[in-house]
Amino acid sequence: MLDWTVAGPSFLTAAVEWVEAFTIVLAVSLSIGWRAASGAALTALTVLAAMTAIASGVLGLGLEIRWLQLTVGVFLLLFGVRWLAKAIARGAGLKALHDEAQEFADARAQLARGDWLASWLIAFKGVLLEGLEVWLVVVALGLHGRAWVSSAAGALAALLVVVAAGAMIRAPLARVPENAIKFAVGAMITAFGSFWTLEAIGGAAAWPWGDWSLLGLAACYALGGLALVALLRQPATVGAA
Amino acid sequence: MSAFLKTLFGDAGTIAVVAIVMAAEVLLVASDQAASAAFAVPSLVLAGAAWLAKR
Repeated sequence: MLDWTVAGPSFLTAAVEWVEAFTIVLAVSLSIGWRAASGAALTALTVLAAMTAIASGVLGLGLEIRWLQLTVGVFLLLFGVRWLAKAIARGAGLKALHDEAQEFADARAQLARGDWLASWLIAFKGVLLEGLEVWLVVVALGLHGRAWVSSAAGALAALLVVVAAGAMIRAPLARVPENAIKFAVGAMITAFGSFWTLEAIGGAAAWPWGDWSLLGLAACYALGGLALVALLRQPATVGAA
Repeated sequence: MSAFLKTLFGDAGTIAVVAIVMAAEVLLVASDQAASAAFAVPSLVLAGAAWLAKR
């Protein structure tokens, strides 16, 4: 039975990253063909699958849960704060919204200067680096109640959806509301990170409402983030969208 | 390799924000103020996110 509280965030996080990876693979495929570009992507996905299997094996060795929570919590904070800050900056117009079409054009321009191997490596590295963020979230969320299957299933489902959508339109997936997803996931991931690090250091009593504090934290980061968007909004940056 | 490390850990600013949050957690718990930490941590995180967004 899937744990949807884990599979949901995993799906959303992975969807954003897979869209970025797909954009790079699509650009590379126009240079070296679909077969070679897909081969590079599959090689990277195999590396990520091996990393996930190793991580779940290591984390399941019976290490003290407190240390696991602390380690994973720190990574979640590093990851979540970054996403939250980026979403706030984009929402406030301090930074341009992510543009898949622009990324596609940049990748093509870069490819025009390179050879076959360089193109293959661009696709491999693109999928590996974007997938690395998915891997972090899959491992971190999988730790929550040892829900490895739900966590991996969410990321895998996102991969299938993105590949299917991308294969149908064969163009950069520019209509995904990336910033909204990044904002929501950033708030959730940061909530998990804050909760686990403080619980690992201060014990279960550190959070006044126990596990319910997680919901409070997620709401606090989401509402706080929205308030920061309003506070930091630049009046003359409408063109960023 | 640097892209790999940056993906894993973020930039220096992100690491600094998380280090400050962690230091605050340790200090508050060590000084028997764990209950305050539950309110201080979210405030610190949001302040850090605001600083990172403004850079």
